[in-house]
Parts: sequence; structure tokens; C-alpha cells
Amino acid sequence: MAWRFYGRLYRIEAGKPDMDTRPLTAPQAPAVRNTLRFEGSAGEYFKIWIVNIALTIVTLGIFSAWAKVRSKRYFYGNTYIGTHAFDYHAAPLRILLGRAIAFGFLLAYSLTAAISPRLIGFWYLLFLAALPWLIKSSLRFAARNTSYCNVRFDFHGTYWGALTAFVFWQLIATVTLFTTLPFAHRARDYYNIYNHSFGQASFKADIPVGKLYKIYLAALAMIAGALIVAALSYGLLTGTKAGSGGPLWALTVAITSLAGMVVVLGIPVFIGARTFNLAVNSTRLGDGYIFESNVSAGRLTWIVLSNFLLTVATLGLLYPWARVRRARYMANCISVTGPEDIGIFQSMPVLAGSAVGEEVASFFDIDFGL
Amino acid sequence: MQLSGFYFPPGSARQTEASLCIATDGKSLEVREGNGAVLAGAPLRHIAVTSRLGSLRRKVEFPDGAIFETADNDGIDAFLKGRSGTLSRLERSWRLAALSLVAIVACTALFILYGIPSSAGWLAQQTPPSVARIITDQALRTMDGNILLPTKLSPVRQQQIRNRFATVAGWEARGAGHYNLLLRNAPHIGPNAFALPDGRIVMTDQLVLMARTDTEIDGVLAHEMAHANHAHGLRSVYQASLVPAAIAFITGDASQFAQMAVILPAILLQSAYSRKFEQQADDDAAALLRGHGEDPGQLADFLERMELKSCGKTGCGPSWLGTHPATAARAARLRRAPAP
Repeated sequence: MAWRFYGRLYRIEAGKPDMDTRPLTAPQAPAVRNTLRFEGSAGEYFKIWIVNIALTIVTLGIFSAWAKVRSKRYFYGNTYIGTHAFDYHAAPLRILLGRAIAFGFLLAYSLTAAISPRLIGFWYLLFLAALPWLIKSSLRFAARNTSYCNVRFDFHGTYWGALTAFVFWQLIATVTLFTTLPFAHRARDYYNIYNHSFGQASFKADIPVGKLYKIYLAALAMIAGALIVAALSYGLLTGTKAGSGGPLWALTVAITSLAGMVVVLGIPVFIGARTFNLAVNSTRLGDGYIFESNVSAGRLTWIVLSNFLLTVATLGLLYPWARVRRARYMANCISVTGPEDIGIFQSMPVLAGSAVGEEVASFFDIDFGL
Repeated sequence: MQLSGFYFPPGSARQTEASLCIATDGKSLEVREGNGAVLAGAPLRHIAVTSRLGSLRRKVEFPDGAIFETADNDGIDAFLKGRSGTLSRLERSWRLAALSLVAIVACTALFILYGIPSSAGWLAQQTPPSVARIITDQALRTMDGNILLPTKLSPVRQQQIRNRFATVAGWEARGAGHYNLLLRNAPHIGPNAFALPDGRIVMTDQLVLMARTDTEIDGVLAHEMAHANHAHGLRSVYQASLVPAAIAFITGDASQFAQMAVILPAILLQSAYSRKFEQQADDDAAALLRGHGEDPGQLADFLERMELKSCGKTGCGPSWLGTHPATAARAARLRRAPAP
């Protein structure tokens, strides 16, 4: 009797970790779920933004580095998880140096384009060779200058890692007629996630490639759908010989342009939002933290499109409002679950890194997502 | 007086609720726990405080890397006694925001109207003739055998055109030696003439065939020589580089929609500068022709005939998109009597 009792007790205890597959760092600390919050306001950011632009112009562009840091600090510092917000630490002088070098490249590039277009090929080659380095160093600069609760992020990616993830996999995808595009996508996500760390804890992810295929196939279906709608409405037009100017013609034009807009704007946002959700949902930090993201492709398309139109229509005046609006939406879509006490995290000694790569990358408008 | 907030040990996320106060010596800051134990302390001059920005929490950074974080912005500023930034004061005022907006609009307008044209003009002036020659050689090498083919005009007609060229070049104040005429057959371009950065002037067979009088040819040549005189070719090269560079430099922050929102204004600006050059070349040509007893109205006739051929009777679209002003306006300006 006694033996059986102890035996069962032992079995129950041993079975416990199996029921909850998520191992906890501190068994006594219950996991809490925190949704990110963005607490900045459009009015407050507008004043900061406009005064900083004016100062940038007055100082002939020199202040732009300080303006960039203030703007980043505003967005990081207003993004909260629980009771604390992120922080951005980049030194404006480093950014200024990086920006000056990037500006030199841009000037040389556009002068080459104007003087001898044949030499442009040389620039493309140089740019391609530098691309992995640009990706690596801008991710590292961004990570090392970001902190949460006094603990810094870091990025350990290498040139070869970036070359493999961003160039080789893309080449393979192209050679296989884009049938392996999801694999290339996953390689980029893995390069990004696995090389990031927060203090001594590193990020890990398991992205099922099947789910990526589903997203890309859905996007393909949407493109096909848009083309069919366009073709049908065109057929309707030519079949009835409605000619131009009639109400049917106007309807056809409206349907066709709507379908075109869905393809041009909606599809990249759809792929971006869905793959972002998938990557975030597959990511974990250390042993105890998991992430969730439920960005809606429709909502995000609406926000991006209306932001763009309103910003252009107001000659840029609504830009701060648009940025705050997007940041607020994105923050509300993401949450972190894990032990409430984050005291175990400890900064590892890091160097700040050079801003050259980051500035060159942002000058030539390379965006790595996230 | 004390401020409440959070204390983080050096490099650690292990936070404690704590308060910040001025130490008894009056020159140091101390972080104390609820029970009064001192967690960190340092002289004020060794302490860095993050600058005030919006309503962000401030961080008091101790030399060893420990941090005290507080939302009490005014309290921290009182501790620092005026060492807090003027920048955040500027950023908090709506009146200054409005003033900044006015200043930005004014500076942008001045930069577009005067800054870019005059700096491009200055750069063009500084460019040695040898560089202009290299640029021109490069451009010709790209075009020759591709869109420009050897002329098919009869040797007699070629000589007639060259004679006109020598005559008009002789009228120019800089002397005939600065100009050079290249005749080319250009079936893909059609009737056209253009001045290259070093002053060489290309005229297509198609243009020669369209001209009805020698004065029309003279008008076109005088127009292109004016472009060469003002180094419009080089200036366009510099402006084409300066416009996107300036826009990128100022909007470095707004890269998200910069691609789309910035390209269109850049193209519009380029066309606007180009229209200004065309008008200047027209004015100079008209003055030169009149000064030597020829009628600039014939150049106007020629331009109208060119437009009729390339765009039909409806005209060539809105002028604010084009690199040339509307032909009707150009013709009217050419025919107008010179100001006394």
C-alpha cells in the first residue's frame, strides 16, 4: 500500500514537466502575459519633430544626427512592456560620421550616374559585396544601442552569415523559379533571430517552413484572384462594347484599379504581416519567455495606405501622427509571456559599434523589416 | 526633497523601488531604498542624466553603471538646477513649433529658388574644361552608333549648315573657337539639337530637313550656343546630383515613405530648372538674332512646326511636367519686341 502510494506520487511529480512543455527558469515565479503599449502622443511628437527639422536646416544638416537619436529615443522610450520602456542609446556623433560617409557615397554614386553611366555597374558590384556587411553592422548597431531595464541587446551575426541568408538563399530561390522562396525567407528570419541576444540570454526560433509556404501560396492566390478580376472586367468591357465614358467603363476602371492597388500595396503588407506574426510566434528568449504577435494584414494595409495618403495630402504635416498611429497599432499586436521577475538578466560587456553601416544602409533605403 | 523611481544595479535588470535625494554634503546624489539603506551615490559632476524628451522617464546614470529611473521630469530638472537642456524647452512650445514650420517652408523655398541653382552654377564654373571634355566624350561614346548615326545629308547641305554655324558663332561674344558642330542622323530621336557640357552642339538630320529657312537654323544654333555659354549642361549634371542628395539629407529621418514621396518632387524640380534654362537660351538667341538683323519669330515658327509634328494639334501635355516650357508661351516670348 505504502509502496504504491509513494510510487504514484513519484510518477505524478515526474509527469509534471511533461504537461507544461515550456520550461520555467524559476519554478516559483508564475508566467505573466504583457502586451506591448505605445504611450507617445502625436501632438507631443509633432513639436519634437518640427523643431528638430528646423534645427537641422539651420545647422546645414549637422543636427540631423541628434534629431534622429531624439526621434528614436521617443519611440523606444514610449514602448512599454509592463512597467518599463525600451531605451535607445546611440551617440549622435557616431551617427553623424556614418551619415557623412553615406552622403559621400550617394554624391559619388549620383555623379557617376550623370557623368559616365557605364561605371554604374562598378557601383552595383561594390554595393552587392558590401550588402552583407551593411546588414550585419546595421543590425548590430541597432541592437547594441537598445536596452530594456538597464540590460542591452546585442547582435552576433557575421558577414558570411548575412551573405548566406540574404544573397545565397535568394540566388537559390531565383534559380528554382521562386519555389524555394519560403526557405530563403526563413534563412533571413533565422539570421535575424538567432544572432540577437538580450543580456546573457539568446533568442531562438523554430519556424515551420510549411506555414511560410502557406503564406506565400495565399499571396499567390490573391495575385491570381486580382488578375482574374481585372481580366473579367476587361472582358466584360470589350464583350459589351460599352466604349469609353459610359458608366460601365467607369465601373471597370474602378474595379481594375482596385485590383491593381490590392496587388501593389496589399500583397507585400500581407506577406510582411503574416510572416512577422509567424516569426514572432515562433521566437523564444532564454528558457522562459515566449512571444505572440497578431498583426492583421487588412488593418495594417489600411493604416499604411491611409497614413501615406494623409501624409502626402498634408505635405508631410501629418507624418508624426501617422508614425505614432502605426507604432501604437504594432505595439498592441505584440505580447510577451514569461516570469514577471526579470532580475536574472544581466548586461554583457559590449562595444557600441560603428554607425557607418547603419547610416549607409538607411541612406540607400535598405529595410530589413521588423 | 526626494524623487521616487526605480533603481537598477550596474548592468542588471534586478530593479528595486527607491528614491533619489541630495546627500548631506549638497554636492552628491544618493539612491536610497525604502528602509533608508544607500544603494548608490556619487558627486553630481560624475553623474550623467539623460536629456528631457517629451514625457519619457529620465535616467540618472552613476559612474559604475547603476541607474536610477524616474518619471518625475520637473523634479530631476530642479535637482540639476538649470543644467537641463534648452532643447526640450524648445520642443514643448506650440508657438516655436509654428515658427519652425514657417522657417522650414521659407528655407526650403530659398534653397530651391537660389541655393541649388547658384551652387550648381558655382560648381560648373569651377569645373576645368578638361573634365567637361571627358564627360562629353563619354556621353558621345554612349550615343554614337546607338541612337546617333553618321549624317546622311549631302556634302553640299552639310557645308551650308556649317557656314551658318560659323556665321552665328562669329556673332557670339566669346568668339567662334568655343563651339563645335556635330551633324548626326537620329531616326529614333527625330528633329532635335542639343548642347553637350563642353560646348559641342549636336544637330540631327531630321531637324535640318524640317527647317524651311536659314534663319530657322540660325535660331536653333543660337539657342544651343546660349546653352553652351551658360554651361547649362554641366549645371544640369550638378543639379541632378544635388536635388536628391539635399532631399535625402534633410529627410534622412523619414525613410519610410521617402522613396515615393521624394522622387516625384525631385523630378518636378529638375524639370522646373530645365524650363528656366530653356527660357534663358531662348532670350539670348532672340537678342543675338535681332542684333544681326534676323527675325526671332522664325525660330518661333520652327518650334510650332516641331510641336505639331511630334504631338499633333492637341499639344504636348501640361508644361509643368515637361523639361521645356509650353511651345505657345515660348513662341509668344520670341515674337515679342525686345524691351527698350
